Amino acid sequence: MNTRTVDARGLEPPEPFERAMEALADLQAGEEFTLLIDRMPHPLLRMLDRDGYRHEASFRDDGTVAILIGRP
Amino acid sequence: MSSANPGLAYEDTPPLSAPLRFFLTAPLFGLVAGLVLLFDGDLLASRWTPGALAVVHLFAAGFMLHVMLGALLQILPVVAGAAFPAPLRIAGVTHVLLGLGAAGLAFGLGSGTPSAIIAGAVLLAAGLGLFLAASLLGLARAAPAQGASRTPRDLRLALGALALTTVLGVVLAVALGRGLALPVALPTLVDLHAVWAWMGWGGLLLAATSWVVVPMFQITPAYPAGFTRFWAPATLVVLVSWSASLVADIGWLKLVLSALLLALASGFALQTIKLQRNSRRSTPDAPFRAFRLSMLALLGSLVALLVSLVSDAPQWPILAGVLVLHGTFAGAISAMLYKIVPFLTWLHLTQARIRAPNMKKLLPDAPVRKQLRLHAAALAALIVAVLLPVTTPLAGLLVAVEFGWLLANLLRAVRAWHQAANA
Repeated sequence: MNTRTVDARGLEPPEPFERAMEALADLQAGEEFTLLIDRMPHPLLRMLDRDGYRHEASFRDDGTVAILIGRP
Repeated sequence: MSSANPGLAYEDTPPLSAPLRFFLTAPLFGLVAGLVLLFDGDLLASRWTPGALAVVHLFAAGFMLHVMLGALLQILPVVAGAAFPAPLRIAGVTHVLLGLGAAGLAFGLGSGTPSAIIAGAVLLAAGLGLFLAASLLGLARAAPAQGASRTPRDLRLALGALALTTVLGVVLAVALGRGLALPVALPTLVDLHAVWAWMGWGGLLLAATSWVVVPMFQITPAYPAGFTRFWAPATLVVLVSWSASLVADIGWLKLVLSALLLALASGFALQTIKLQRNSRRSTPDAPFRAFRLSMLALLGSLVALLVSLVSDAPQWPILAGVLVLHGTFAGAISAMLYKIVPFLTWLHLTQARIRAPNMKKLLPDAPVRKQLRLHAAALAALIVAVLLPVTTPLAGLLVAVEFGWLLANLLRAVRAWHQAANA
C-alpha cells in the first residue's frame, strides 16, 4: 500500500502537531500515514494512545523520527 | 499504562497548573531582587555584602530555581518520557517549600539572621529533596530513551549537580548560622557551592534543555551529535577535578581546570550562536534575539571570570555574577518562558479537545518585544552600576519593572487560556 507522508520537519511548535491533527482528521478506518518530525512527539503519542490510534516510530540516520500512524 | 484505560498515558502529562505555579511565582523574586537593589545602593561594592548575597539568592534560588523546577515538571515527561508520581501533589508541596525557603534564605543572608538562614536552607533542601526523589522515581520508571538525543542523560547529570549544590548549600548555611568549624575554608566552600550551582546545575540544565528547545523553537539545525555527546560529561568530569584541586589547594591545577571550565562554557555559547546564524527563521523574533544576547552575556561573564583569576579588583567577580545571573540565565529563561508558556497553554487546550486560539493570540509579540528590550536595558544598567555604584538604584528600578512586566505578560497567556477553556 502506498502510504501518505506528512512532513512536519523544520516547523515551529505547535505547527507539527497541527499538521498531524489535520492528517488524522482525514484518516478513514484502515488507513495510515507516515509523519516525519524532528523529535519524538511524546504529547502527540499520548493523544494517539488515548484516542485508540496505532503508531510505530522508527529513527532515520539524519535524526528524523518517522511515525507510522494508523486508524484501526 | 493499562490497555483497558488508555487515558492513563495521557494523564502522565502534569496538569498545566503544576508548572504554571512555578512560572508565575518566579518573577516575584526577580521583582524583589530589583527592589533590594533600588533601596540598598551599596550592595554591589563586593560579592560578600549581605545585600549582594540576598540578591544572588533571590535570583538563583528564587527566580531561576522556580522556573527550572517548573520546566522540569513539564520536560521530564515530554522529553524523557518520565512521569512524576502524583505530579500535582509534588508540585504543590515543592512549590511552597521552595518559595518559603528562598524567601527565608534571602532574608536571613540580607539581614544577618542566622536562624532565618538555616530555616530557609532547610526548607529549600526539603523541597529540592522531594523534587529530586520524585524525578528519580519517574526517570527509573521511564522507558529507555530512544534516538540520538542526549537530553534525557544530561537532565540526569544536571539533577546530580543540583543534589550536590543543595548539600553544599545546607553545609554553608549551618556553618554560617551556627559558626560550625569546617575542614575546608569558608570562601572555598562558597566557591564550590556557587560554581556547582551555575555551571553544574544551571549550565548542564541550560545545555540539556537547549539541545531540544533551540532547534525546536528557533528553527536551527540540531546541535552536532559529537558536541552533545561529550559536552555535559566532560563538563562534569572537569568540575569534579576542579573541585578536588580547590580542596587540595593546588594553585596551578586550579588555574588550568578553571580555564578548561571557561573553555567548555564558551564552547556551548559559541556553538549556540553558530546554530542561530543558520536558523531557517526569516526574521528573528524577540525571544530569539534575547537568547542570543544571553549567549553573548555568557561569553562576557567568562572574560570577567578569566580576569578575576589574575586580578584582585573586587569588580570582576561582581561583573561576572551580573552577566551570569541576569545576563545569561534571566535572559535565556525569559526567552524560553515566552515560547514554553503559550505552547503549553495551546497543548493543554488541544489535549482537552478545546479549539485553541492561535499562539500569537495567546501571547502577542509586541509586549514580549518591549519587555525583552527592557531586560537588555536593565542588564546594561547593572553593568554600569558595577563600575559606577551610585547608579545602582536606577538598575534596581529597571530590574523590578522588568520582572513585574514579565509576570504581566505571562498572566496574559494564562488569561487567554482561561477564556478559551471557558468559552
